[in-house]
This record gives sequence, structure tokens and C-alpha cells, in this order.
Amino acid sequence: MTRSSLLTPLTESRVWRSFFRHGLPDNPLDRSLVMTTNIFFHLHPVKVSRPSLRWSYSFGLGIISAILFALLVWSGLLLMFYYAPTIERAYPTMKDIQMTVPLGQFTRNMHRWAAHAMVLAVILHMARVFYTGAFKPPREFNWIVGVVLLLLTLGASFTGYLLPWDQLAYWAITVGTNIASYAPVAGPMMRELLLGGTEVGQNSLLRFYTLHVAILPLLIGLLVSLHIWRVRKDGGLAARRNSEVK
Amino acid sequence: MAAQTPVSDDIFPKHTDKTFALVELVRGESAMVDKGPDDTVFAFPIVLLWEIVLSLGITLAIFLFSLIKQAPLEEIANPFVTTDPAKAPWYFIGLQELLEHMHPVVAGVLIPGALVLFLVVLPYIDHAREDAGIWFASARGKRIVVWTAIYAAVAMTAYIVLDNAFSLRELLRSVAPQWIAQGLLPAAIIALIVILPALALWRLKANTRQVMLALFTVMIVSAVVLTVSGFLFRGPGFKLYLPWQMPNGYNPWDGL
Ligand code: HEM
Repeated sequence: MTRSSLLTPLTESRVWRSFFRHGLPDNPLDRSLVMTTNIFFHLHPVKVSRPSLRWSYSFGLGIISAILFALLVWSGLLLMFYYAPTIERAYPTMKDIQMTVPLGQFTRNMHRWAAHAMVLAVILHMARVFYTGAFKPPREFNWIVGVVLLLLTLGASFTGYLLPWDQLAYWAITVGTNIASYAPVAGPMMRELLLGGTEVGQNSLLRFYTLHVAILPLLIGLLVSLHIWRVRKDGGLAARRNSEVK
Repeated sequence: MAAQTPVSDDIFPKHTDKTFALVELVRGESAMVDKGPDDTVFAFPIVLLWEIVLSLGITLAIFLFSLIKQAPLEEIANPFVTTDPAKAPWYFIGLQELLEHMHPVVAGVLIPGALVLFLVVLPYIDHAREDAGIWFASARGKRIVVWTAIYAAVAMTAYIVLDNAFSLRELLRSVAPQWIAQGLLPAAIIALIVILPALALWRLKANTRQVMLALFTVMIVSAVVLTVSGFLFRGPGFKLYLPWQMPNGYNPWDGL
């Protein structure tokens, strides 16, 4: 018996057919349809240009940023089961995560290192887009979406930095928000709005927490979808062969 | 439908069912010259395979790193005990380094504001499409990037070291008001460092793309120099030390 005939009773079953309407796409029509009809794939183009697939063009840095974001959402959700954003409980819950929660320290490590890596990947991705001239028409708008994503990524990383509520967190945020307060007139107001007071305290922790676990990740998720969809709408990656240029 | 009229071999035949005709011959290249009929492939499955491989690779890398290096957790926050040094996270420490050298309005507001503004207006200044999608645009572009990178690394390092040794703040204390010694003068020095390569290129008849390559390179390399200086070379009192000679057992890497 061949492999396919072994699997036939399964793939012909009512349950399987309700999950997967098609077999593996192995012809041009199905390969187009799989991209346009599947909700997870529809951000992708149906066809991509060969030069844009070359590793040395994009180094995959945009995809890598998106993957790191997914890792952060995953590990962050796990941490949320234990963390409490009050100044009495934040630090003790961090200790609990490290000492008593199974794989707690490991999950925390993943979240922290992926966060640093994402900031780095996004900056490198921006440099790649700049040096390949991929921000030029018709991609200006997507470049600006990218600039907003860079700022949101920095914001998400910065708000997360306070949450452990240890000396490192407290003083880094004190120093960081002081820099913001130097803007004439608006500066001190902005700092107070962010901190919910004149010093880093309970209000600041709650505000940073809300920004970190809800507002900023939602915005990033939304804008990343827009950004990747827009790559498709702008005609795929700008990559060209060097020989095309005189 | 009218009855079929025979199609003649004329270039401009009359009375046919043909809805197209050869109107004119033009010289020129089509967008597809030298590309064969189609230079594309189906995204399925190659792109998805790439994404799966990258996901597995990145996850594995973060996994392994998390096994060997623990995330730091210091003593519980205490507003009454300042840590020494007190540093911003690494991606903002370049700004903290700048603050050491100039007035906070320049270092904390004007310079970061100018950077974001530069990024936003960039695609509207440098909009020639010809060199989109090619690394460094041309061989000359690549040379420009290499040389401005070396220049910016040297210039910013020199600025940090010199300003540290002969502080403008101290030198001009009794001579000039603070807004000149701490504001105008350092801002002018930074502006000069940034604009110098652009001016030189402009004299050499470089195009917009090449000037922008230089400006962006100065920006990113300066940011790297300032970040490395702030992160690795600043110790207690936010003073400059060699990273392996930090006093009080301070290790800059503990603050990641
Ligand atoms: C959360 C951060 C970001 C994510 C997840 C992301 C994701 C992506 C992805 C998946 C692509 C497809 C090509 C590739 O993988 O390189 C892409 C392309 C692009 N990105 Fe981003 N990006 C981010 C931030 C940025 C930033 C900061 C900029 C610029 C300021 C930017 C500008 C662009 C542009 C212009 C393209 C089209 C490139 C081309 O045609 O070659 N993105 N991005």
C-alpha cells in the first residue's frame, strides 16, 4: 500500500475535510488560492520576485523582528499569570517567578533577551531598508509606518523595564523620564502624564504596566499587520538585480 | 456579429473584426527587458518554508541564550538610595551620554527631535526611484558609506574624549553665559560634524542619494559610538573608565 492510500481514510473523513478544504497546493491555481483564501497567509503576496528572496538582500530582518515580537507576546503572557503591578507585590512576584514558578526564571530570561534582540533587529532592519533605498516611492508611507513601529518598539521595551521594580528598573526609568522632561513647557507635563505624578511611584507602575501589556502590543500588532500587508501592496520588496542598473 | 471578413495582410486593414492594430513602432525598452517572461516564483511554499526555518532558528537562539544567561534582578526599588552609576536602558544611553556634554534641551529634545524628523522627511527628499532596491545604490555610494563611517567613528570619539578632558563648561565658565557654553557651542560642534561630509560631497557633485547615504551613516555611527561610550565606558559617577578597570566591582553588562 502506498502512503497516500494509507492516509486516505483520514484525509477523506468528515472531520478532516471540515478543517482542511484542500489538499496540498501543487499547481499554480491552488498555490495562488492558498495565499488569498487563508487568513494567516493573506498578508503574503501570491508571487514573489526572485531577487527579493536572496538572503543578502534583506537578511530576513523584518521577519525576524516579527518573530521576536511573537516570542515576546508568548513569554509575556506566561509572566502575566504571576506578576502583580503594585509596588508592594511587583518585586516579590518577580522573586516568586524566579524561585518557585516552574521554568519561571527561564521564561523571564526569554522575555528579556527577546526584548533586547527585537530592539536590535528593528534598528538593523531600518538600516537595511535605508541602505537598499527601499523607502523610495511608492514605499514612503510604509517607511513612515516603520518609523512609528521603531518608536513603539522602544516604548514597549522602556515601559517593560520598570516592571521588575528593582533598583535597576527604578533608576533607569528615573533617568530616562528625566531626559523627556527637558523639553521646554511640554516636557514636565509629559513626564507627569507618563508617571502619574512627579516621581516614579505606584501610579507610574500601573501606567507603565497598562502601556506595556495592552496598549503598545496592540498598536504594534496592528501596525505590523498594516506594514506587512503594505509591503505586498507596494509591489513586494524593492530588490533588483545589480545587472539591471547601469 | 457581422459576418467574418477575411483578414488581409495589410498593416492597416479596413473592415475586419480585429479590435487591435499596429499603430506605431517605438524604440525603447520594456520593463521586462532581460528578465525573461517572468522573474517571479510562487510564494507557496518557499516563503512559508523560510518563515518556519527562521522561526525555529530565532526561537532556538533565544532559548539557548536564556539557558546560559540569567535576567538581572537587583535589590527592591528604593527611592532613597541612588544607584551609582544610574543608567538609562542601553537604547537610550546614547542620549544620556550626550547629556554629559551639553545642555539638556539640546541633548534631550533638539537632537532626538531632529533625528526623528530626518527619518520622517527622508523619503520625500531622496525620492529618485532608479536606485531603489540596490545596496548602497552604486560602487561610489558604497565608498561614501565606508569613508563617512570611519570619519564619524573618529570624529565622535574625539569629541567625547576631548570634551571630557577639556570641558567646555569649565573652560568658558567665567567667559560666556551658560546658554552659549552649554547650548549654542556644543550644538554647533555636533552640527558641524554632521554637515561636514554632506558639504564635501556637495562640492564633489554627489547626488541626493549619496548625500543622504552620508548623513544617515553619520547618524547611525554616531549613535553607536555614543551608546558604546555610555554603556561600556561610563562607571561610577558616570565618569569615563576603561571597561575592564571599573572601580567598586561595577560591571556594565549587569545592567542589561
Ligand atoms: C516592529 C518592527 C517591524 C517589523 C515587524 C517589520 C516587518 C517587516 C517585514 C516582515 C518586511 C518584509 C521584508 C523583510 O523581512 O525585510 C518589512 C519591509 C519593510 N520595512 Fe519593516 N518592520 C518593522 C520596522 C520597520 C522600521 C523601523 C522601518 C523603517 C523606518 C521599516 C520599513 C520597511 C520598509 C520600507 C519595507 C519594504 C522594504 C523593501 O521593499 O525592500 N520597518 N518590514
